[in-house]
Amino acid sequence: MTNTQTETLKQPPPPLPPRPIKLPTTSETKLSNGLLVVVVQDQRLPLVSYRLAWRSGDAHDPAELPGLADMLTGLLTEGTQSRTSREIADEVARLGATLQAGANSDYTTVAASSLTTFSDEILELLADVALRPTFPENEVELTKQNTKESLKQQRAQPSFLATEMVARVMFGQHPYSVTAPTPEAIDATTREKLIEFHRSKFIPNNAVLLVAGDVEHDPLLKRIESLFGSWEPGEVPGDDFPAPPTRTSRGAYVIDRPGSAQANIVIANSGITRTSPDYFPLLVMHTVLGANASSRLFMNLREEKGYTYGAYSSLDARRTAGTFRATAEVRTPVTGDSLKEFFYELGRIRSEPVSEKELADAKSYLTGVFPIRLETQEGLIDQLLQIRMFGLPDNYLDTYRSHIQSVTREQIQTVANKYVRPDEAAIVIVGDAAQLTEQIKPYAEDIQFYNTAGKKKSKNKASSEVSGALYAGNWSLQIDTPLGQSIPATLTLLPGPNGLSGKVESEMGSGELLSATVDGESLAAVVSLDVAGHAIEANISAELTDNQIEGTIHLQDAPALTFTGTRT
Amino acid sequence: MADRFELSPTPIKQFTLQNGLRVVLSPDSAVPVVSVALYYDVGSRNEKTGRTGFAHLFEHMMFQGSENVPKAAHFQYIFNAGGTMNGTTSTERTNYFETLPASHLPLALWLESDRMRSLKVTQENLDNQRNAVQEEKRLRYDNQPYVNAFLRINEMIFRNPANAHSTIGSMEDLDAATIDDVQEFFRIYYAPNNAVLTIVGDFEEQEATSLVNKYFAGIPSQPPPPAADTSEPEDVASTLEVFPDQLAPAPAFVLGWKIPPRRTPDFYALSLAADLLFEGDSSRLYQKLVKGDESVVSIQGGIDERRGPSALYIFALPKPGEEVATIRDQIFAEIRALRVSGPSAEEMEKLRNSLCNDVVRGRQSTMYRAQRLAEYTLYDRDPTLMDSELDHYLSITPEQIRSSVERFLDIDNRVVLDIVPAALSEESQAEAAASPLPPGEPQQPAAPAPQVPAQPPTQPAVNGGAVLADTENRTEQQPADPSQQIERGSGPLHT
Repeated sequence: MTNTQTETLKQPPPPLPPRPIKLPTTSETKLSNGLLVVVVQDQRLPLVSYRLAWRSGDAHDPAELPGLADMLTGLLTEGTQSRTSREIADEVARLGATLQAGANSDYTTVAASSLTTFSDEILELLADVALRPTFPENEVELTKQNTKESLKQQRAQPSFLATEMVARVMFGQHPYSVTAPTPEAIDATTREKLIEFHRSKFIPNNAVLLVAGDVEHDPLLKRIESLFGSWEPGEVPGDDFPAPPTRTSRGAYVIDRPGSAQANIVIANSGITRTSPDYFPLLVMHTVLGANASSRLFMNLREEKGYTYGAYSSLDARRTAGTFRATAEVRTPVTGDSLKEFFYELGRIRSEPVSEKELADAKSYLTGVFPIRLETQEGLIDQLLQIRMFGLPDNYLDTYRSHIQSVTREQIQTVANKYVRPDEAAIVIVGDAAQLTEQIKPYAEDIQFYNTAGKKKSKNKASSEVSGALYAGNWSLQIDTPLGQSIPATLTLLPGPNGLSGKVESEMGSGELLSATVDGESLAAVVSLDVAGHAIEANISAELTDNQIEGTIHLQDAPALTFTGTRT
Repeated sequence: MADRFELSPTPIKQFTLQNGLRVVLSPDSAVPVVSVALYYDVGSRNEKTGRTGFAHLFEHMMFQGSENVPKAAHFQYIFNAGGTMNGTTSTERTNYFETLPASHLPLALWLESDRMRSLKVTQENLDNQRNAVQEEKRLRYDNQPYVNAFLRINEMIFRNPANAHSTIGSMEDLDAATIDDVQEFFRIYYAPNNAVLTIVGDFEEQEATSLVNKYFAGIPSQPPPPAADTSEPEDVASTLEVFPDQLAPAPAFVLGWKIPPRRTPDFYALSLAADLLFEGDSSRLYQKLVKGDESVVSIQGGIDERRGPSALYIFALPKPGEEVATIRDQIFAEIRALRVSGPSAEEMEKLRNSLCNDVVRGRQSTMYRAQRLAEYTLYDRDPTLMDSELDHYLSITPEQIRSSVERFLDIDNRVVLDIVPAALSEESQAEAAASPLPPGEPQQPAAPAPQVPAQPPTQPAVNGGAVLADTENRTEQQPADPSQQIERGSGPLHT
């Protein structure tokens, strides 16, 4: 290779001339019952996609039946007036098609797609499951059982536990605070409740049917009219929900998941609704701060520090409320260091204007990835759906890129100061609490502890010395084994100038406490046990009251053992 | 019926540079974007004992800078141009891919060629990415219920360590990797003659050809790397094990079989048999166990498709109180029924239509096409399989399905792994009662697994590693696009 050739490789090449984006043309028709039909003709492939959507979702669940909308969508395909569950499954399979229903907090959808050859058949099936579900008793019962089991599985996932706590803390009385059903709500769900919810919420005048693909407009409209025309309108449910609480101070919420290999960190502030005028400035700010792998959070926590596989921010803007979050899953010993870097970046985006280059890069990213989303029928429908479900302007796609382009550095700093509020943030961390507390303390005076069932573990806080002294003495413990046996043990706590010391004695092994701290009513201690000549470290975490103790002892990779006891 | 089903052939222009780089171009101007995929013929199957996880760790290193691209600037260049990207590693290959506005094709080729020509590695970057990979392992494997158990199953199925060990590797082996290992690996495997480049989207063929020449032609070829030895005896390594899982909230089990390599008649037939057994609500096992007996919460399965001996798995999550042995017998009975009578005419129609549907849906995305073209070129030296592979599947007869099930699934040479919540496992019961020692550290994991049965199942299948977690759309929260069956797995970012 010649030198000139090598020279040309030193710098990134300039782009080729831009190619125009052909935005899809939509045609809209409103049926007399209020159902809006949006059609995009696209003859590239012999394929059609449909999406029927209602502007009511999990947020509209009855207060005593969280999870009803989710359970309902699962049951739409389990029986209609003319088909059994099995017949629906077999017919979808015979067509080689897809048919799925689901709900999120703001809306509910039934999605279907097939080859053009079967486009009439799959649309008829979609109409049948959406309009004429029967919620057969046996299917309701089966769904209830399986939903309960799925809930257990979800509780084993740290990301679920983090999301659940963030929602609870950030949304308060607003229905977005609920992210999953409770076993009690599942038990209380009946066929009648499902029928009533379907009747009142699944109405054409609150719905839109989106179609994209290889269709002929007029015959399709006729077909839709015949399938959906007689669907009866109803009263549109409102979105009048209690406002989320206003946070006035920083606080930490630790979900104790003993044995966790990582700490899942979420730092949350209140955010905006999807139609807020601050949406585009905040979107660009979020792109600079943490939207992708070239944003500040990722560059700092992963590329510089190696604390995590990925650190990001997320802009959660929904129809009636929202949050702004920063998240990472980090190895447990660097939880405190990670919080330090998070708060450094959250502070910096507020105090310093972003650079011209960062602004330009963020805009380029957002406008560049925009057409990639329109490649597939599903992607295009997703975009059109959001316009309808969130109440965005009709020309939203046409103006999206110019909205991005018009954002200024000043606007970014304004929204950063308005919505990134480190002093009012909720810090939610899922992990092994015994290893986390000391690391979190420098970043939050107020730390609350929960177990994986979501129950609060400790009521108040106090300094280690004071409460340590309160709990000095001998505690008689009973350690439960998985076989149902109970092993007696004694825990001795002694207050000293440098905190607590003490020992554990039991027939399993005995040893000195290497460290022990009391925070409020929570004890965290590490003990070195001599077990048959081997030194084994164990973590003890417990809740104390005047004379009662309850907690777990955790030996390296073994499952945690629970114990209870009293002061002697 | 799918009789009316017609697809125009995928435009394909292929050529090979003098240095051995195979190139496939497929222009399509529907949307002004371009997808570039670069596949290297190296995966965990090329790793030696004691260096597991290396191919994937190396994939992370490919984002740490080269002669003209500073550390982590690859991410910056792609995202700042309005693109998305990732890299992933499987048993078979390591891939790097990006989708960009069409005008940025030169940027993608410049970035990919610079690191192929002149990767720079430093101890600091190696340490940093080792940390990132170890966090990836903790995030996606060690901190998840069932996932590590799933990786154990490959070590039970395969006897050859090249097939058995996991793509993510072990923490110890990752710790042992040195700078010299990294440099040597780069020299051997990251040569143009060991790679395939595909470009799909809105571009002029001539312009793309000259850009490819400009950026890649000057990279020297290397001696061919040593061939991977994936040969396997027929017997599985271990037929029955118990896996104590600290994070599992309920018992579950996995069944596994060793099956013939991809693109063999038996593989096609078994892949269709797998669809009939566990794919979707109409499948035999779903209808029998979830709906009929109501004995399991969920049943899932998958095929690990490889150039060498491959694998088929079934994962079941029983309901509390249900007898695991009985559920297993029911699964074996369903497999036997398929062996005795073969698929019905209705089932064959269903297979036919869903094969056609999948092929057409996949065509929508330029990245999906770029990835499939790269695979067919790398593995089979034939990108036109993009269009013709469907015919191989459609030509499989009911008798072929029946007979493949008889020879490969309805046999004693299979693997059973019982996953027991650690607190309930017999081992830990004995340990806990006698002395509170930890149960043995689970063996290191192996390869792809179906999804963890959470609801809704949003997690990507566990398949090695990726440089990023989510290639798409952390920007604005949006529903996932089910049509984009793009490689997600392990790599430098999240997928």
